[in-house]
Amino acid sequence: MLEARGLAKSYRAPGGVLIRALDGVDLSVAGGRLAVVLGASGSGKSTLLNVLGLLEDADGGEVSMGGERVSGLGRSAASRARGRYVGFVFQSFLLIPSITALDNVLLADRYAHRRGPAARRRALELLAQFGVAARSAHYPPQLSGGEQQRVAFCRAVLNDPPLLLADEPTGNLDDANGQVILDALRARARAGAAVIVVSHRADAVVGADAVYRMEHGRLLAGPPTLEGGSS
Amino acid sequence: MSLIKVLRGYAFTIAGIAIGVAGIVALGAMAERIVRFIEGGDRFVLGQISVAGRGMGMGTGFTAGGMLPAASIRAIAQVPGVSGVQAQVMLPLDPSTSQFMTLTQELVLGVDLTVPTPNRHYPALPVGQGRNLVAGDRRVAVVGASFAASHGLRVGDRLPLEGEPFEVVGILQRTLTAPDRFVVMSIEDARQQWIAKDRLLRTVIASGVAAVNAADLNTGAAVGWRDGEDPDAVAHRIADRVSGVNVQIPSELSRLLRSSTAFFSALLVGIGALAFVIGGLSLANTVAAAVFERIRDFGVKRALGASDLQLGGEVLGEALAVTLTGGVAGVALAIALGTAVDGWAARTGQQLFLFSARLLGGALVFSVLLGAAAAAYATLRVVRLSPAEAIRRGA
Repeated sequence: MLEARGLAKSYRAPGGVLIRALDGVDLSVAGGRLAVVLGASGSGKSTLLNVLGLLEDADGGEVSMGGERVSGLGRSAASRARGRYVGFVFQSFLLIPSITALDNVLLADRYAHRRGPAARRRALELLAQFGVAARSAHYPPQLSGGEQQRVAFCRAVLNDPPLLLADEPTGNLDDANGQVILDALRARARAGAAVIVVSHRADAVVGADAVYRMEHGRLLAGPPTLEGGSS
Repeated sequence: MSLIKVLRGYAFTIAGIAIGVAGIVALGAMAERIVRFIEGGDRFVLGQISVAGRGMGMGTGFTAGGMLPAASIRAIAQVPGVSGVQAQVMLPLDPSTSQFMTLTQELVLGVDLTVPTPNRHYPALPVGQGRNLVAGDRRVAVVGASFAASHGLRVGDRLPLEGEPFEVVGILQRTLTAPDRFVVMSIEDARQQWIAKDRLLRTVIASGVAAVNAADLNTGAAVGWRDGEDPDAVAHRIADRVSGVNVQIPSELSRLLRSSTAFFSALLVGIGALAFVIGGLSLANTVAAAVFERIRDFGVKRALGASDLQLGGEVLGEALAVTLTGGVAGVALAIALGTAVDGWAARTGQQLFLFSARLLGGALVFSVLLGAAAAAYATLRVVRLSPAEAIRRGA
């Protein structure tokens, strides 16, 4: 489903120092597979997810989804590709505070598919499935962190995207809520989506089909060890 | 998502816009009030040729000067191009008040009701309540709206003037010009008021040193011109052919009026410019800030697949709805404040605000256009960011 070859991305730090966030990253994740990327803060995990999800451009390399090259597209074409292929789960949920939980979930349909009433039914089903149906008319600030992330997850999967990208999805959650989200991500993979999870939690690798680690912008196979090498 | 939900999310923005627009409208309404006064005066003086007697006397306003005897009025009527002459007496209601503040002075206007008023723009003063004066009326008056308000007069009330009781038979519509402070009566009654007010005149008449009869007691006359005549040319002709008169050339009087109100005109330009700059900047800043404040939301929407067009349309639509709501609220706020202030000022016969349709419409159009421009500018800045950058900046 997802193919990335030779991804490179650098930032100029305030002192003028060049930071290589991505340094020749190759990654391939097929549909139905769950890949977990572990790594320390600043290792480039989030940048990798942003580039894979077309949220920002790479300096070099290319990304393909479903056999279609999607890197280097214009803004609107990239937006269409995101709407067609990608669902995002963010660490800080990124719900829009001025609209209800249900409307937040429906945003995914509004920009990508426009299925109308069918999308609404599906959104309500998802909210019920994740135990937040009673909160559908509430606004994000009225929800707990766990509830917000479950709503955000419903938004991410409303369109059944073939690629699901999760950036520290349990970073702001307690263990119980974190487990709910990790289980849901595994379930999406079992349902046929390509799922990539970036996390610092060791338990995120449970059930993963592939585990990687990011070190200084490079993607290496295997989880980190105490010595910092691959296992 | 319903419009109400959208607007609820922008409550503070709407409040900010409303305050900015209220400022524009309130200052604009004060400017409109002054403009109406100046325009009204200009329209009046351009509608007639005003003639007064040469010299000095009690006459005031556009009839300021000496006495204009009946013989002069008959001579004016014979001048080619003149269509009609109406003898008038215009006096300060209270001669003890300062004469230099004539803009707000209360005046007695006596008119010869046996001839039609020759003013082309004001053939009859607009009566709001009661009736206008008719030939043969004595000891009755029609009063201006501000005069009635400040003196607490209604139709049917008694108005004592120099010891004589006058019945108020009509109250003029508010014109926001000089007639708002007029007491209009028959010229015969006005002549008696003049005699009562002017000790020197009484002495002269009693001594018999000058041959003065009632018909000579005029402070001026309104002169009309025939169709197709140039009023300035007719005025010059009167000045050439009739001795002992001061003739106001309409275009010169208009110029004089405008130069004497130049300070107010400059003040208006200043007030208008200030209102538009302050209110406009406040509005544009509020709208742009509201868009930038939601930069993270726009990043999220882009991440969910929103195109430039969808996002731009959405932001612009919201900005228009918010600006229009804020604009209407601002107009309502300004009208409410202006009405309250005018309610207080009305006790002294004043009106400080004029909320004209052109002002309200202009303020709304201005605010919506400016809001849209500010939103478009902010949106262009936002959509150029990558979704990741927008989310980072909004975090």
